[in-house]
Amino acid sequence: MAVALLVRRFGQLHEDPALIARWRSWLGPLLTWLTPRRRRSLLALGALYIAVRQPLREMFPGVDLRAPGGPVAGAIVVVGCFAAVVSVYVAAGRFASLPAAIRSRPQVWLHAAFWALVAIAWLVPDDRGPGAAALAGLVLALPFLLWRMGYLLMSGQRGRVAGSRFGDHLLYLYPAYGGTNTPYGKGLDHLARHEAASEEALARSQLAGIKLLILAAIYNGLLALMAGLVYGDPRGAWSGHGLGLPRLEQMLPAAGTPWATAWVSLYVALVWDVLKLAARGHEIVGILRLFGFNVFRNTYKPLLAPSIVEFWNRYYYYFKELLVEFFFFPTYVRRFRRSPRLRIFAATLAAAGFGNLYYHLLQHDAFVLTLRWAAIGSWLLSRGFYCLLLSVGIYLSMRREQTRRGTAAAPSVPVLTQVRRVVGVWTFFALLSIWADDSAAGFGQRVSFFLALFGVR
Amino acid sequence: MREAHRARVLDFLRTIQKPDRPLEAVAESDSLVEAGLIDSLALLEIVAFLEEQYRIDFAETGLEPDQLTSVSGILDLIEREARA
Repeated sequence: MAVALLVRRFGQLHEDPALIARWRSWLGPLLTWLTPRRRRSLLALGALYIAVRQPLREMFPGVDLRAPGGPVAGAIVVVGCFAAVVSVYVAAGRFASLPAAIRSRPQVWLHAAFWALVAIAWLVPDDRGPGAAALAGLVLALPFLLWRMGYLLMSGQRGRVAGSRFGDHLLYLYPAYGGTNTPYGKGLDHLARHEAASEEALARSQLAGIKLLILAAIYNGLLALMAGLVYGDPRGAWSGHGLGLPRLEQMLPAAGTPWATAWVSLYVALVWDVLKLAARGHEIVGILRLFGFNVFRNTYKPLLAPSIVEFWNRYYYYFKELLVEFFFFPTYVRRFRRSPRLRIFAATLAAAGFGNLYYHLLQHDAFVLTLRWAAIGSWLLSRGFYCLLLSVGIYLSMRREQTRRGTAAAPSVPVLTQVRRVVGVWTFFALLSIWADDSAAGFGQRVSFFLALFGVR
Repeated sequence: MREAHRARVLDFLRTIQKPDRPLEAVAESDSLVEAGLIDSLALLEIVAFLEEQYRIDFAETGLEPDQLTSVSGILDLIEREARA
């Protein structure tokens, strides 16, 4: 009872008026000094550091900076990425004057430019010194910026870039608060919408950020415990007492994992993945909130989701939003307008299917550097299958959710039914992970593993 | 005119909102998604409603989801498109 109360109070930390008042009294002058403009400027300063570090980090291991011409190649990549960002900013600011073909499909043109660069890098022989190394470095570094530049272009399309400060856009283009290829917090439009405008709102946002950072620390602790006690990972806590539960990448190539062990491993891996994503996401969003951008957290209790679409919405929110804004909605407003079900299915397939696959293809360094389809054939087949299953699952779940809504009061759902729904969602995503795993296992090995779970060998 | 649009929009929202949540309890400018009245799926139905009832072509105008998550946002869009 006391624990439940403590958990509830912790959850409402940022809504506690007494705590907000105390926080404001502690930080008083600092909160006053931290106006929105100053907060953005601090993040923009951090962005300049990231603008140098991030491209160099993305270049490895594709390009060896220790090689002759390496530092020159590195410098070219840093400047080249920055030049790309400035170019997109200028284009977004003058969106209305861009050619009609670009205005109607700006994201397509952005990605076409990237793939043109990939083709050029592929055509240039490797022994062409810093130039070739720089091209290779650029194609590895640019995916981190692509979706961010996409949000910048989108903002330009809505007429919101003209007159805006370049520094304000830098803060999400080169996020000092961290991130993956997926822009956490999206672009400036979204960040500005959730930006604290008053000292009280800033205090509330900062307390919400601290809450997330504490949660991240707890989750990281749990992950260390799981690594040791469950997986027996020497880097984890108490690994000497570990169960030695095999991970999926260990089970896939070797047939004969006991049936029960395989099922337990899949479910535990789901929990592991959720905790890992939540911990990292909470760190990033927590820092954003400390700077007054009180945006949604990236992961919100997906393991309690009663439906596949709800899990998808809660698990990796900003990735889901990326797919929705760049793939789902553009397809939805253009295709099959006379057929509501086909319209939703096509849009879902475009997002969770094609968009999902394309996003991960961009991260596949070996392919982006060499354009060799054979090198990624097995990965493509498995990942493509995963994306297809995910799309179908989300679509069917969406259809079911639509029929449940309306003005009639919903009867209370029995606890057993709620549990059954949650277990169903866990099972779906646990099984789906067989094809999402990035190990070298072939498609056939994954199918065999899947069938073995149901006693078919 | 805005009042007529508001009545129509509210009648429609009641057909897609989550049950047991009073629409009237939410301010016009508040996000209906953040207030828990609708889910992100309902956005699709709002789009379809605006296409059918107000002939708005989102392929031409572009779709900004955040515009459609509040009653005032929807009404502003309707008035903007009517003037265009």
